[in-house]
Amino acid sequence: MITVKQLTKVYQSGKISFPALKEVSVAIEKGEFVAVMGPSGSGKSTFLNILGCLDRPTSGSYFLENSEVSLLNEDELARVRNQKIGFVFQTFNLLPRLNILRNIELPMIYAGTPAKERRQRTQEVLNQVGLLEWAGHRPPEISGGERQRVAIARALVNQPNVILADEPTGNLDSHASTEVMTIFKKLHRQGTTIVLVTHEQEIAAYARRILFFRDGQLIKEEITPVSPEVNNQ
Amino acid sequence: MSLIEGLRLALESLWVNKMRSSLTILGVVIGIAAVITVVAVGQGGQAVLMAELQKIGTNVFAIYVNWQEGEPLGEHDFTFQDIAVIKELVPEITYLAPTYYIPSVVRGPKDKKPAQVIGTEADYAQVTNVKVVRGRFLSQGAGTTRAVAVLDQTLAGEIFGRLDPVGKRVTINNRPAQVIGLTKEESGFLGIQTSKRIYVPLSFAQDISGQRVIQQMEGMAANQENIGAAMAKAIKVLERRHNTKDRYKAISLEEQMKIAGKITGIITLIIGAVAGISLLVGGIGVMNIMLVSVTERTREIGIRLALGARRKDILKQFLIEAVVLCLAGGLLGVVIGAGGSVLVARLAKWPPLISFGTVLIAFAFSVAIGIFFGLYPAGRAAKMNPIEALRQE
Ligand SMILES: Nc1ncnc2c1ncn2[C@@H]1O[C@H](COP(=O)(O)OP(=O)(O)OP(=O)(O)O)[C@@H](O)[C@H]1O
Ligand SMILES: [Mg+2]
Repeated sequence: MITVKQLTKVYQSGKISFPALKEVSVAIEKGEFVAVMGPSGSGKSTFLNILGCLDRPTSGSYFLENSEVSLLNEDELARVRNQKIGFVFQTFNLLPRLNILRNIELPMIYAGTPAKERRQRTQEVLNQVGLLEWAGHRPPEISGGERQRVAIARALVNQPNVILADEPTGNLDSHASTEVMTIFKKLHRQGTTIVLVTHEQEIAAYARRILFFRDGQLIKEEITPVSPEVNNQ
Repeated sequence: MSLIEGLRLALESLWVNKMRSSLTILGVVIGIAAVITVVAVGQGGQAVLMAELQKIGTNVFAIYVNWQEGEPLGEHDFTFQDIAVIKELVPEITYLAPTYYIPSVVRGPKDKKPAQVIGTEADYAQVTNVKVVRGRFLSQGAGTTRAVAVLDQTLAGEIFGRLDPVGKRVTINNRPAQVIGLTKEESGFLGIQTSKRIYVPLSFAQDISGQRVIQQMEGMAANQENIGAAMAKAIKVLERRHNTKDRYKAISLEEQMKIAGKITGIITLIIGAVAGISLLVGGIGVMNIMLVSVTERTREIGIRLALGARRKDILKQFLIEAVVLCLAGGLLGVVIGAGGSVLVARLAKWPPLISFGTVLIAFAFSVAIGIFFGLYPAGRAAKMNPIEALRQE
């Protein structure tokens, strides 16, 4: 599904160049649930942003479903973001003035989905995250946990190949975190590929595999034991 | 993304910022309203001018001496014979009357009033369409010095009161004259009142003023087609009789009107251009606010890009926003402008003319302004980098 080789990202600010990502190579299979961990500034977000086609690597290759992303033009990248990737942000990134329904519809609008199908898909994903009754509300009227669930619904709506989540529970209390992670777990069970950045061990424990970053390098990989406590939550 | 979706996104965003949106379009509203008002009033004025021309007749003309500086006065003055000869030699001319205008004071038994004395003869009534309501008009034969006068009935009423003026005496600049008839004011040309007029035989008018002058000849051609020939022939006759060249000029009322029309057209254009500048300022206002809006909505743009909006989708959205804003401004401007022109026209006493074309051009202009001034801000929005845009607070 995702294969990166020698992925490097160098930030250039004036004369100072800062390598945020150094020759990271990793492969993520379809259906995997991968967590990315590491200290602050270790390049986790940089890595995820490149996977999400929000940013381009300085060098290295990135294959998404066998197509080389660095060869795509702007419009094609937009299409990849739209069709193949569902991004979930720490700060939700919902449009505060649009209601939940319209927020979730946005990716489909950019995909050119007909209105009727949009409505149907919106209902489906809202149902999936258990927020059907909130459809008419605006993001500021609902709790943080609910907002993140809306964001997940939005990420799912175009049936992407992979969900990328950058600290999706970073702004949530433990109860809301659990709710959100339960959704991810369910999605994983249904076969969705998930890459999730987190600082927290308990969150990472939901994943089957953990990538550890430090100073822009992938330093270690771990396969998590199937821990009954987590899975039985 | 379809145009309809783009329109919906744009309307959503504009609706969210109702206050700002309405302030943004204010400049466009004022600009369009000003242009519409100026054009409507101007075109209304021209329409009135043309309608009046139709009413009076397009076959009326005047001949005058083209006096040149340095020449002694009276050198090429018209004579009574000139008129008679022209009438005989130029069959295209149906009526031709000499005229001499003198401002004066007329006194009746009841009151005295300032009035315009017109020294002329019978043909004048035909040329200027004067209607006699009592008694008779001046007779033909301009040479008569008989002290008679034909008064407008309104003026007569003012200086005679309830007495019947016909057969009675008036004094014109202290010279007595007998009233032989009353005329009725036709709806005045362009609102010029004819109610303060007295018609007297030309020679009598010369007596009153003490100068043997015929100011000009006013005539009527048989029809509109041969007015040009009529004027040219009359000039030729005069030149032959006075043995000169380029001393006589003829101008038809239509030409005069066209000149007047041209002048009002130019004035309309100038005022319209000034109003157009306010439209330009309105457009710059739109650009200004759009730029602020783009900066403020950087994060929104980042989110849209992250969700798969292409650059052209973003461009389209902001461009549509600008165009919708300007179009709304245009719509409101047209409505206000229509109201404004009705108001101004009422003061100017002519009907405003808001043509479909004007309204269409106003809308086209609004759209053009929206595109022109929206393109740069929209381009800025579309150029944003998703990651940097998302990082914006
Ligand atoms: N646009 C940029 N210009 C310069 N340096 C940058 C830029 N973006 C990120 N960096 C630097 O790159 C490094 C990696 O940043 P990144 O956001 O990937 O870290 P992270 O692992 O996600 O950290 P955190 O856990 O705090 O989110 C950091 O040192 C950061 O300062
Ligand atoms: Mg980060």
